[in-house]
Amino acid sequence: MMINEVWKLLFKKPKTNKFPAKYAPKNVHQFLRRVQGGKAKIVPPVPTPPDFRGKIRYDIDSCVGCGLCAQVCPSKAIEIVRDKKWIIMHCKEGAKLAAPLKIKIYVSRCVFCAQCVDICPRKCLKMSDEFLLANENKLDKSLIVPGP
Amino acid sequence: MADEIIHFVEIIIGVFLVAVFGMIFGLLTKGIDRKLAAHMQWRVGPPVIQPFLDVKKLFCKENVVPRNAVAWLYNVAPIVCLTSVIAILLYIPMGSIPPILKGYGDVILILYLLTIPSLAMVAGGFASGSPFATVGAQREMVLMMSYEFPLATTIIALGWKISTLYPGEAAFSLTTFTKYPVWNIMGPFGIIGAIILLVVMILVTTGEITKVPFDIAEAETEIAEGVFVEYSGRNLGLFYLADAVKTVVMASLIVALFFPYNLSTYLGSSIHLPSIAWNAIDFLFYLLKLEIVIFFSMTFIRVSVARFKVDQVVKVYWGYLTLAALIALVLIALDILL
Amino acid sequence: MSETYTIPVGPLHPALHEPITLKLEVSGEKIIGVDVFCSQVHRGIEWIGMNRNNPIQSIYLSERVCGICNICHPLCMVQAVEKAAEIEVPERAEYIRTIAAELERIHSHLLWAGVAAHEIGFDTVFHYTWALRENVMDLIEYLTGNRVTKAIMMFGGVRRDIKENGAKKLREGMKFYLEKFRKIEEIFLQDPTIKMRTRDVGILTREDALKLCAVGPTTRASGVPKDVRQDFPYAAYGDYEVKAITPDIYNGEVHGDVYDRIVVRLLEVKQSIEIINWALDNMPSGPLLAEKNLVRLKMKLKKAEGEGIGRVEAPRGEDIHYVRLKAGEEPFFSWKIRAPTYNNVLPWIPMLLGGQIADVPIVAASTDPCISCLNRVTVVDVEKKKEFQITKEYMHKLSVKKTRRLMRNGR
Repeated sequence: MMINEVWKLLFKKPKTNKFPAKYAPKNVHQFLRRVQGGKAKIVPPVPTPPDFRGKIRYDIDSCVGCGLCAQVCPSKAIEIVRDKKWIIMHCKEGAKLAAPLKIKIYVSRCVFCAQCVDICPRKCLKMSDEFLLANENKLDKSLIVPGP
Repeated sequence: MADEIIHFVEIIIGVFLVAVFGMIFGLLTKGIDRKLAAHMQWRVGPPVIQPFLDVKKLFCKENVVPRNAVAWLYNVAPIVCLTSVIAILLYIPMGSIPPILKGYGDVILILYLLTIPSLAMVAGGFASGSPFATVGAQREMVLMMSYEFPLATTIIALGWKISTLYPGEAAFSLTTFTKYPVWNIMGPFGIIGAIILLVVMILVTTGEITKVPFDIAEAETEIAEGVFVEYSGRNLGLFYLADAVKTVVMASLIVALFFPYNLSTYLGSSIHLPSIAWNAIDFLFYLLKLEIVIFFSMTFIRVSVARFKVDQVVKVYWGYLTLAALIALVLIALDILL
Repeated sequence: MSETYTIPVGPLHPALHEPITLKLEVSGEKIIGVDVFCSQVHRGIEWIGMNRNNPIQSIYLSERVCGICNICHPLCMVQAVEKAAEIEVPERAEYIRTIAAELERIHSHLLWAGVAAHEIGFDTVFHYTWALRENVMDLIEYLTGNRVTKAIMMFGGVRRDIKENGAKKLREGMKFYLEKFRKIEEIFLQDPTIKMRTRDVGILTREDALKLCAVGPTTRASGVPKDVRQDFPYAAYGDYEVKAITPDIYNGEVHGDVYDRIVVRLLEVKQSIEIINWALDNMPSGPLLAEKNLVRLKMKLKKAEGEGIGRVEAPRGEDIHYVRLKAGEEPFFSWKIRAPTYNNVLPWIPMLLGGQIADVPIVAASTDPCISCLNRVTVVDVEKKKEFQITKEYMHKLSVKKTRRLMRNGR
């Protein structure tokens, strides 16, 4: 019987977590500016558990450019690119100058399965707990790892 | 001649004020209803002014007329619906303020006027030329025919009692109901009868303003808002407003029939205030009564039950409620005879 | 009203959350004819699995067959591949798979209960059950790392362990649900208005259920004790001995109506809670994966040859994946998904016939349809610009043709 239950619910606090504010702000950008200015407060989101799979972190220096991550990425979000820095590489023909292989991750394509994290032999990929990734531009700087 | 013109101007201003009041208070009521319903459903709900924003948005939107609709009827229906509900509001006293059209009509007229918004909805539904709207319109007609009888029985029972007690008064005039509150003139049997009638009236209100469980004509998940399926923009906004005003009308009717008490009659002797102040206080008290009635006839019912099917609605109205109303009528008859 | 007219329900309709079309022949409020049209959401998932993806990528693709059954589909696919490539799964992984699948069942059934309540216009129950569902979602997030796409399956095991903390949280969560279960049961099974709307509505007789091969709670509510967990146990279910739930367990009678389907689903939630508690108590220790090195696993799958069928009891019914691997080819040589909704759509017709328009949403929802799971081939003849669907007769003809060809080649 819901008739009895609704009375109890009427005086109970709503279950909803009021993130980011109780009512949708009229202008989101304005609201964010006010939050930055300290005039408004954001109701915090539900905390993420440990080992949450959020936006990917990439340690470019320990990456050896093996490309395994790109092979297993289900959404083809990982692109193999040449690094901007040139280094001296030692191979059979002797030392030569070359740009090593690195990766570029398009977070807007990422499906957050963390398969690349599992397969990486150098453990240079990690999932962070950042999950507020909405953006109007899918090629935004904040949605490409590593950043500029 | 001059008197008549002044009277006429008074009525026009009054009509304007009542229309504005009906719409604004109706939308506010809707907002409060949504907020309370949300809390009863364990969630936060929209801000109280949300219905105003909704109407504002609807009036900004494009008004689409379907290709196979009867355009003139389709466009006229919402206007007829809104004007007719506002017309009913003119016959209903608000607190200690007498109705604008006092003396021009009584409860029987209100009873007839109440069918016009529903008929307008039916006409609009049939005019949209969509199978969903057709089903919705048929259901609206069924609904209308079902709640008419218990509603009429309620009003007749109360009017009968008043007419036997005070043969000199106009039995069905709302001012008479205000003058002799139901609970004061009833004997023990009559009180039980009146309580039954109040419950019947509250359930009829839920059907009249088509809310769950009696919202078969709109039934979002079944026939996609039924009669309103093709409506958009301004037309839908007008229907929305009409619905808001209708809520106020039905609640006012219950308040006028069952709770016509005013604070001024009881406290006026002990606290001395100018009559305008008392009018304002009575008006606010009337709004409070409205909110309470609306809470029980709309919010509370709609959150605590599931939607009925058409045959179940008919069974509830023609079966249980009509029976209850007739029992109440018999009880009141006993009260009169004894 | 003797005049009949047709009402199209779908492809877009508030009662159906996914595109499918129902053409209803209606006389007044009574339904006198029903026809179902599928294939509005063919997404080519199998094609991608067979042409573009390597098997590891396909796990995450199969997860996206359906947003709600995203343990069942990968589990089913992984089982099929394990059979094809002969990979032995460690025992602990089997138990974790069981727990994940049962958590999913709880969340899916609670979600369904909310949707069903919404379909009959009872929004309070809808919000209430979904609020309760949040707890199981949080548990899933804690155990797997995300609320919806769990990404926990891997060939030969699972990717995440249930540690001390996780087990503690799970136990707490199950206790919470055992407490709340009584309240949910009271709301759904004792509320008079819900009973009014669901009793003797959308009846599927035992004969029809058997004839139309209905699966899952839909058929169990008609009194057919059919459950993959009972009949062909997989993962750790063999140790538990699941018993298929039929409504007569609750009140001793089988009607085969919507109310019975609610009963079956609610009792299954309770059963799932028991299974999870049992699995936590009896979980053996050991490795999680048969092959820890993913690169080696990938090579192994590339070399493997064979075929396998995975069967899983999804919340909606039996899910079947057929996978065929060919040596030297990375993508699957063949991959066929048969989702439970495919079997549960046809029973709509006997359920709806003779009912009212008002019954359509709740009857359709009572089978818990997941249209994105269901797909059917639409063949487009580009030259003639004609679109047609493969009928049973045409399919039969093609099959006979192919069998003949195979026989000829075999000789």
